[in-house]
Amino acid sequence: MQASAGSVRRVNPAAEGKTYEQVAFEISEERVRAFQELFGGPPGVPPTFLTAAEFTVFPQVIGDPELGLDFTRVVHGTQEYVFHRPLRIGETLRVQPRIASIRHKGGNGFMVIETQMRGVDDRVAAVARSTMIERESAT
Amino acid sequence: MSARFADVHVGDELPALSRTVTREDVRAYANASGDQNPLHQDDDVARMVGFDGIIAHGMFTMGHLGACVAGWAGDPANIARLSAQFRAPVFMGEEIVAGGRVRSMDEPSRTVIAELWVTVERDGRPEFAIRKGEAEVRFPR
Repeated sequence: MQASAGSVRRVNPAAEGKTYEQVAFEISEERVRAFQELFGGPPGVPPTFLTAAEFTVFPQVIGDPELGLDFTRVVHGTQEYVFHRPLRIGETLRVQPRIASIRHKGGNGFMVIETQMRGVDDRVAAVARSTMIERESAT
Repeated sequence: MSARFADVHVGDELPALSRTVTREDVRAYANASGDQNPLHQDDDVARMVGFDGIIAHGMFTMGHLGACVAGWAGDPANIARLSAQFRAPVFMGEEIVAGGRVRSMDEPSRTVIAELWVTVERDGRPEFAIRKGEAEVRFPR
């Protein structure tokens, strides 16, 4: 599976700052229920629910040829959610990812995807930050 | 049982929350979240990248941590920020335990910062699946 050292694909630092197309994401009751049934906790939108919103836009990022990411070598490094207001079941967010940074350190690539979620009032309701680590080798 | 701001003190621990991770739960999480990476569903794929079998999504483990924090906060709407660092992988059949400790408090804004973690017991020793997590919780008046 592993390419020789000279030909390993590396995430491209020139893609830093790139933004991707905005996608609408509904906080549907059904999907919230699926999270609640899995994790329990008090009623309301679970604090990690927005991972479902991130996954509506990640395919654009992961598949971007300019970015050149090898997703088979990617692991999830860190995750952060910042909420500017409570989320409401039934509301639709406009979700837009941006490559906040790309760094290479010790053979690994570190990419931070910052995803803004705006409400119908166009204000930012929440921001998700995911650090993806593209490892030099598979193991 | 959720906390009351008046009763919270620096150094308090959040009630620990444990669960055993099953293949069915991880599959249900893949469907709920949309993260269909085969590393979390196909043992052959997991072995190809050096694991003994499928591992849980990092976000599955963080989802469990989120339930621990939301239970303590009383309402997920009280959580202003939640973060986590993913460390050790979690395998099927393992028990994960989410916990945390109050690090600082701000009385005027009724805001509490807690550090968070999720451990998994391996060879009789706890390992961190998540560490250096943090939550900012604002208790309403």
